[in-house]
Amino acid sequence: MFTNLEKCPRNLLVCEKSSLLNDKSRHATHVAKHFFNYKVSVLIPECGITPSGLKSVFNSFSKYYLLRNLPVYKLLEEEFLEKVVKKGSLYALSYKTRIDQDNTFALLPSGQVILSVDKDTYEELGLEGKASQYNHRQPMRYVVTLDMTDKSLAPGGKRYKRVMWALQEKVQLTSDFLMARYSIGGNGEDLLQSIFSQYSCRELRPSMSTQSLRDLLCPSLDPTDLHGDSRSCDPLQFLEWLGAVTMDMSCNNEASSFVSTYCCPEPQSSASQALLCTAVGLLLPEDIHSLLEELRRYFDEPRFTSWLSVTVHGFADSPVSWGATEHGFHKGGENFYTFVLFKNQDYWLHMATGTNDGCPP
Amino acid sequence: MSQPALYERLVFKNASVYHYLKIYLILDNDDRKINAVYFKQMIISALRDLYGEIGAAFPFDVLKFEEDTLTAVLRVYNSGLVKLWTALTLLGSYQSEPCAVHVTQVSPFLLALSGNSRELELD
Repeated sequence: MFTNLEKCPRNLLVCEKSSLLNDKSRHATHVAKHFFNYKVSVLIPECGITPSGLKSVFNSFSKYYLLRNLPVYKLLEEEFLEKVVKKGSLYALSYKTRIDQDNTFALLPSGQVILSVDKDTYEELGLEGKASQYNHRQPMRYVVTLDMTDKSLAPGGKRYKRVMWALQEKVQLTSDFLMARYSIGGNGEDLLQSIFSQYSCRELRPSMSTQSLRDLLCPSLDPTDLHGDSRSCDPLQFLEWLGAVTMDMSCNNEASSFVSTYCCPEPQSSASQALLCTAVGLLLPEDIHSLLEELRRYFDEPRFTSWLSVTVHGFADSPVSWGATEHGFHKGGENFYTFVLFKNQDYWLHMATGTNDGCPP
Repeated sequence: MSQPALYERLVFKNASVYHYLKIYLILDNDDRKINAVYFKQMIISALRDLYGEIGAAFPFDVLKFEEDTLTAVLRVYNSGLVKLWTALTLLGSYQSEPCAVHVTQVSPFLLALSGNSRELELD
């Protein structure tokens, strides 16, 4: 009867297995290309107290800023381009804008400005763009990509003037922005504040939380068995379990139980405790990378656990997921990845995306 | 020391057999308490009202139910998602008092429900 109703929109899960010792390992690129990260959570089985190294990495996460009512053209002004954007590592994403209904903007560290706008705004703007890939029959959303490193968009040029005119005089697009810049020395932040001094600018730090979990069942994982044939559970079951543990769900139900029949996947072992550390905010890929480097060192000393996991959730309303691949919302806008690091420096990387998204790299 | 792992890549398309929903219940009467068993029973009767005895006969799990905030996470086979969602949307009363269900997040990955960037409140 309702056969069409039983179909579900597509979703993708890409799993990679490699070793951190492998020269060609692409883990660092995958992390660097996932620009807008909302939440990171680290799960370490058989760990009671937060290792000091982990704590200091979390504390050294970059600050980010919330700018109120910032006109989009401010991101394209010559001074800002020269002093900040061209130095690299600047991330900006419009805040509280929903990609399936509002105009959404992002500035990528590569110097590209992405305007994902509805049809009316697009027509008023009169800038060159493309219809969104995820339109339904009639295009209702358009994506304008301005590559500020491109010579044809150099300040003073004809195209640059036209863009500024469109954004300043035709339609003054404004939005709240989350902005962060990665800098080793730390003077990048002051620069941001001084440039945007006339706008309300609040400095924020990623919020951290730590949770100790007691007596839980953990799936056994074998680094050589990514597919989950016999010595591990399969990747989907593992991710489901990780979700259940992160959200504090019961993983030990009877198959005949009325409320829930969810069980930890086999093969499993029990852990007396586990540590769950999370950070929420605009998190920079560079910081995620240093977190991974720190967690690598966790196995330098003998440990009870043979693996630990790091999950990074992207912003559901970001116009891009990995690199400049267009991202949309559809039902959930999910884009996240999970690293499972093993004692012997092997790792698994699970990257997942929902319907309106390209295939993870 | 053993050799570093050889590179391997697997791509799963639509491999998840389940969908997960994060929902919350709004009760007109704030004093009323409800537990996970009653909550599930309520959804089952909503399904039965809408699809009849046979149409509503599919399994789903209440993975989590918080009694104080009335939020829940449900797991359902893909084939039952639309039916469950519609039944939740049309659910209008519990023990003859008005109520409503809000679906806050839906995903084929349970892990995705643990990080919803739309909940980021900085004010």
